[in-house]
Amino acid sequence: MQWAVATAAFLASVVEFVEAFTIVLVVGVTINWRSSLAGAFAAAATLALIIATFGVALVQFVPINVLRLVVGVILILFGLKWLKKAILRYSGLKALHDEEAIFEETQAELRARGEKITPRFEPFGIAMAYKAVLLEGLEVAFIVITFGSSVASSGTARSLGITSAAIGAVIAGVLVILLGVLVRAPLKRIPENTLKFVVGIMLTAFGTFWAGEGIRIATNGTHFEWPYADLSIIFLAALYLLASYVLVTWLKRTKQHTVTSSSTEGGVQAIKEEVIS
Amino acid sequence: MKVINAVYNFLVGDMIILIGVVITILILALINNVDALAPLRVATGAILILAVLGVLGATLNREARAKR
Repeated sequence: MQWAVATAAFLASVVEFVEAFTIVLVVGVTINWRSSLAGAFAAAATLALIIATFGVALVQFVPINVLRLVVGVILILFGLKWLKKAILRYSGLKALHDEEAIFEETQAELRARGEKITPRFEPFGIAMAYKAVLLEGLEVAFIVITFGSSVASSGTARSLGITSAAIGAVIAGVLVILLGVLVRAPLKRIPENTLKFVVGIMLTAFGTFWAGEGIRIATNGTHFEWPYADLSIIFLAALYLLASYVLVTWLKRTKQHTVTSSSTEGGVQAIKEEVIS
Repeated sequence: MKVINAVYNFLVGDMIILIGVVITILILALINNVDALAPLRVATGAILILAVLGVLGATLNREARAKR
């Protein structure tokens, strides 16, 4: 079991599954649970097929250095995307993800369409649950494949990496479903932004490491190597954590400055109007 | 066009991040494959880290400006 890979896949999966669960819950409550679960399970089967097919293909046919460069770049892209969202939410420039609002919005949409509770399979309900789980899970599938396949140099170890990542994702899925069944409401207490932030840091740190390792593909003679080998990933994560803290502080100050200057301008305008009148 | 847009949104959805990372990788590939630039190879890691931080800072700066 490769714990770093399993943990990253677990955390990323929790975030995405909480989002998918909200839609599955809406369909279950508004149309019926049969259609909702059928759609969700069909999407889970599709995701498993994607991971198995692409995972095996990557492990068997792509050379490790090429894989590490491509995966490194993709992980940096994913990581920066997640990190940017999390930093914007921490600094208050973007609203926190509200599962309850999404639940109510989707339910109103379904009711406006005239959807009612029925006992039989409803194609629209199945399609909606399928689409939600597939779209949210696709990012997780990507992380599982890329993360799992590039942690080790041998084919067997790479298969183990994908298996570890898949185990992390499955545990997250089971946990979210269990919590959802217990609560029977949108899961709003899960600290989604913190999870997104941690995963963003992990993906960016691993992505930087593998992109650096993979860049030596065509190099002859001297080539770049990270100091202290795998240990440098911890250094990279710490560095990105520190940089994120600085960026959040800077954005908070910028926001405060904007609010202060706009309220001062408003005050001056009000005084002018009063003097004129 | 719709497919390309969907892939772009799925992978990154931010032009500054995409262009910044691609340019960084191209520069690093040059450094690591052109003999005249061999002395710079030792700085590959530092360049990559600085570029990643620079890209993150740039995209956040754009968002902050847009909110003003």
